[in-house]
Amino acid sequence: MLKKRTILILVAAALLSPVFSYGQTVVPASKQDELIAVLKSGDATRKEKADACRLLSSIATKEAVPALAALLGDEEMNHMARYALEPIKDPSVDDALLDALGKLQGKPLVGVIGSIGVRGERRAVKPLAQMLKSNDSMVAQAAGRALGNIGDAAAAKALGSALAGSSGDNKLAICEGMFRCAETLGGNEAAAIYDQLRELKDPHQARAGGLRGAILTRKDGFDLLKEYLESKDYIMFSAAVQTSGEMPGAKVTAALTGQLGKLSADNQVLILGALAVRGDAAAIPAIAKAAKSGDKAVRIAAIEALPPLGDASAVPVLVDLLDDSDTDIAQAAQANLAAMSGNKVDAAVMAMLADGNTKTQLTALDLIERRRMTNVGGALLKATKDNDESVRTAAIKMLGDLPGEVNFGVLVNLLLGAKSSAEIRAAERALATTCKREAKPSPGNVTIRKAVYRGIEGGGSADVTKKVAEMVAAGAVSIEASNANFGDAAQGIVKELQIEFTANGVTQTETVREGQSITLLTGATPDALVEELCSAMAKAQAEQKAALLRVLRAAQGAKALESIRAATKDADSEVSGEAISILCGWPSAEVLPDVLKLATTAGENKVKILAVRGAIRLIPLQDASVDKKLAGFKEIVPLIQRDEEKRLLLGSLATVPTNEALAMAVAYLDSAATKNEACFAAVAIAEAIGSKSAAEVGAAMEKVLAAATNDDVKKRAKAVLDKAGK
Amino acid sequence: MSKRKTNLTRRGFLWRTAGLVAAPVIVPATALGLGGSVPPSERIILGGLGIGNRGSHDLQWMLPEKDVQFVADCDPQKSRAEKVKNIVDTRYGNKDFKIYHNTPEFLAERTDIDALLVTTGDRWHALASILAMRAGKDVYSEKPSSMTVAEGRAVADTAKRHRRIYQTGTQRLSEGNFTFCNEMLRLGRLGDVHTVRAHIAPWDAAEMRHDWLPAQPLPPKDEVDWDQWLGPCPWRPYNPAYCSGGWRGFYDFHTSCIGEWGAHTFAQCQVAIGQQYTSAIDYKYVNNKTGDGMVTTFPNGVKMVLQLEGWRGSCGVTFEGTEGWVGAADGYSQPDVSNPAMLDDFKKLVGDYMARTQRPMSHVRNFLDCVKSRQQTVANAEMMHRSMTTVHAANICMWLKRDLKFDPDKERFVNDPQADRFLSRAMREPWIY
Repeated sequence: MLKKRTILILVAAALLSPVFSYGQTVVPASKQDELIAVLKSGDATRKEKADACRLLSSIATKEAVPALAALLGDEEMNHMARYALEPIKDPSVDDALLDALGKLQGKPLVGVIGSIGVRGERRAVKPLAQMLKSNDSMVAQAAGRALGNIGDAAAAKALGSALAGSSGDNKLAICEGMFRCAETLGGNEAAAIYDQLRELKDPHQARAGGLRGAILTRKDGFDLLKEYLESKDYIMFSAAVQTSGEMPGAKVTAALTGQLGKLSADNQVLILGALAVRGDAAAIPAIAKAAKSGDKAVRIAAIEALPPLGDASAVPVLVDLLDDSDTDIAQAAQANLAAMSGNKVDAAVMAMLADGNTKTQLTALDLIERRRMTNVGGALLKATKDNDESVRTAAIKMLGDLPGEVNFGVLVNLLLGAKSSAEIRAAERALATTCKREAKPSPGNVTIRKAVYRGIEGGGSADVTKKVAEMVAAGAVSIEASNANFGDAAQGIVKELQIEFTANGVTQTETVREGQSITLLTGATPDALVEELCSAMAKAQAEQKAALLRVLRAAQGAKALESIRAATKDADSEVSGEAISILCGWPSAEVLPDVLKLATTAGENKVKILAVRGAIRLIPLQDASVDKKLAGFKEIVPLIQRDEEKRLLLGSLATVPTNEALAMAVAYLDSAATKNEACFAAVAIAEAIGSKSAAEVGAAMEKVLAAATNDDVKKRAKAVLDKAGK
Repeated sequence: MSKRKTNLTRRGFLWRTAGLVAAPVIVPATALGLGGSVPPSERIILGGLGIGNRGSHDLQWMLPEKDVQFVADCDPQKSRAEKVKNIVDTRYGNKDFKIYHNTPEFLAERTDIDALLVTTGDRWHALASILAMRAGKDVYSEKPSSMTVAEGRAVADTAKRHRRIYQTGTQRLSEGNFTFCNEMLRLGRLGDVHTVRAHIAPWDAAEMRHDWLPAQPLPPKDEVDWDQWLGPCPWRPYNPAYCSGGWRGFYDFHTSCIGEWGAHTFAQCQVAIGQQYTSAIDYKYVNNKTGDGMVTTFPNGVKMVLQLEGWRGSCGVTFEGTEGWVGAADGYSQPDVSNPAMLDDFKKLVGDYMARTQRPMSHVRNFLDCVKSRQQTVANAEMMHRSMTTVHAANICMWLKRDLKFDPDKERFVNDPQADRFLSRAMREPWIY
């Protein structure tokens, strides 16, 4: 016959092994008997018993109560026994807890009192009332809270009687119990409890909470609210204001506004905050009065209280304050006016724009923009003819910021007719903003630089650059990260796709998880808009032409580039200079032949420098072989005169990791002006070449080590050298 | 957009050490007979409960606020409290910051403290908040802010009873991108919103651990007060891994991958669809480890889908309507939108929200403003409790491995006594609220 201990271990093993496996929270109800057996065992460990209690908490019935109740006196198991007992819907649990109440002391007793409170067992009121006087403060406090949970008249009476002689944490617990009783009892009984609490000297939170309850519970609560809105006691005053938020009605609003102007600044700010939250527009006249004069903090609080009320009658109040001599007040009025919604506010702003006063007109223009007003094109166009340049300029700018207010052609004409440089700049900005906004997604000029499909936690990786480039060449604009596209580089592991690409010359890197897609789109300004810009070139003066060229740069696209190329030959040097500058700064490599030509043929040194710098930037952006790019660098090297461009070249050489590029970088090691950049370039190229050209790399790194002063580059050079040596 | 100038007048500034960062001697509200009510022109005296890694972030946001003086921290782990002291003392240029190890003693002794930053582990958030509010403090609590539905209800009731200001740390409710999304819904710009998606944490699982780590020798009580560290949770032997973040994933201490981020994203979704004062009523079980794909339904018919993937940052949300969609997550330079033109009104919508609600785009500032104005915070206790209820019910659905229905009015499951048993857990003595 198996020994008892062995049987228990087997039972526990059979039952608990699956039960204790990672993640198991619930067991079938049929397991109850086996769990009870664990509890009864003298040999089960604390962990085994604790787990049995936890599992019983979701399935136990009255059959489990005796075994659980037997653990209540055990300091180690009291909690877990209650853990299982509390949810069992059977009076035998309450019997067991009541029985334990008379037998336990210390922490186990505190636990049992807590569980009696959770279950609301009324038979416990009498013993718990006795325990309010316990010398063990933990027990007294637990009793106070539990009586509150029971919440009947007898419990309330016991707590009310104990309140007077209490102090410290015991008093907090009794107050807590009284609140709980009041919430259960309601009506006059609750009002009496709340009155008792609000009339205390301390603690402040019980007084404040008591006042709230006293106001909200009784029918004549409004009178009490009004009384305390005049209180000199800040605790009770603030509690009353706070409580007003829970009381709807005009009477309450009037009681609050009636105090404005009579109280300290702090108290008025509190009332204004409450009025804002209440949202009763009837408060606007009183708030307006507070906004107009008096303490600055109160005025600003009043201004901020107006938008939440959402009523048009607040508009003239804020409009009047726009001219306030105190700039903080004027700014607060403007900010809050901007945020108010509604047609009446819009009408007020339009009236301001029609005003002959420049300051008012400029404020109106600011508000139109901040409020994102619509149907204002006509008024803005009128403002572009204003006598004041600042108004004209602001109106032109606004027409660009607000979509759809005027046709693109109107903006072009504003530029052509501009009377000053400021207006030309504003029109240029409006046109450029519109071009960017109207740009429609298109495949654009996309070059795939690198694409990798790999497991997110390692386990395999595939270079899919060629595949992605083929997909793009075939017209794909969205590349899905999927095994269907790229094969399974890491079986059983979630993959991610990372693509480094250039769109219109701008390099971007995006990464998505398996199942998601990377969209390779660029924005292209509609041809019709570009056509309008190009047509305008013929009618424009030099300054306008230069501005139009900058807009064309923002628009991008083949047609825009064609116009810019043509302008490089313009008879006016201001125009041709701007065109050359834009060409040399063009984001994609399609202009490289133009730029190389400029670098070799330009007579003006400034143009040569611009072209050389442009070429150095554009050569790596070509969708071309390394050899072709290297050839480009070789072509540009004889044209470089200044150290600045030499350093620029060195910064780009690593994009063509070849022995020749390495030799080019090493050649710059001898000059103090380029030595540092040459070291970095040489090391980067050598790292990429690796051991394929050990001799060349080794020799170059020896030179770098001799020349370098930067520790990091020395370390990298040494590492490459060591690797090459092997 | 709180532009209100703080005119610090009554609590005098006596600079103790010339040349050091300002460390004013402040007359606390209690000494002025103001209790825990801080008038708009005064400074707020702040303390901390259990400030660890996450709490340090909150601290860094609170310390620069000019109307705040941080004076003390209480933590059962001495080393953590000392780190906080070092941060605060360095900022103020003195050694005045006090550290405590016993929460009830700390609350009883520091009657001068107006408000507390509660950043303990999940197991203590609710109890600490309740004890603090009952002691008359306003509370900024990190999330997840409750372990059970019953705990959350107790937090909300305590705040109401004692007129306390409470904010839970769902800071995205005070960030521009998320506010823009919410306003797009409120203004009907997405048409009828039918589905919202809430990010859940990509680590851990909905299934939780019940094992105990191997027992290690208990350190001296003044180094780690293990009984207090455990607080209301079931006893288990000490292991230092728990105290350095290793409590995550355990049923006794954590609210799973659903609570880890759902505490944020469910709240964000519920606010966006106007369901912040109720909870989801229907939960569809999904047979996986995380709850990914679970569909919950709110009383207004909107469905919220728990989703692991689909965002480029953490705590993402997406809102889908008949006329478009918007979404945001941490790290987005701007919200994702179905139509770029939607973003034209970004500044206006966020600005209008701030003016209409008087809430700034700073979660900490919103709390501090409300401590003074005594108005409700953006993430107040009731709202916290309702969104955490959705978190807890979703977890219970995963644990019971079946569909559930919930009644938000009764705060019980519908005719499901077994599920109801998970709505509360007996608290370990003496840590009972």
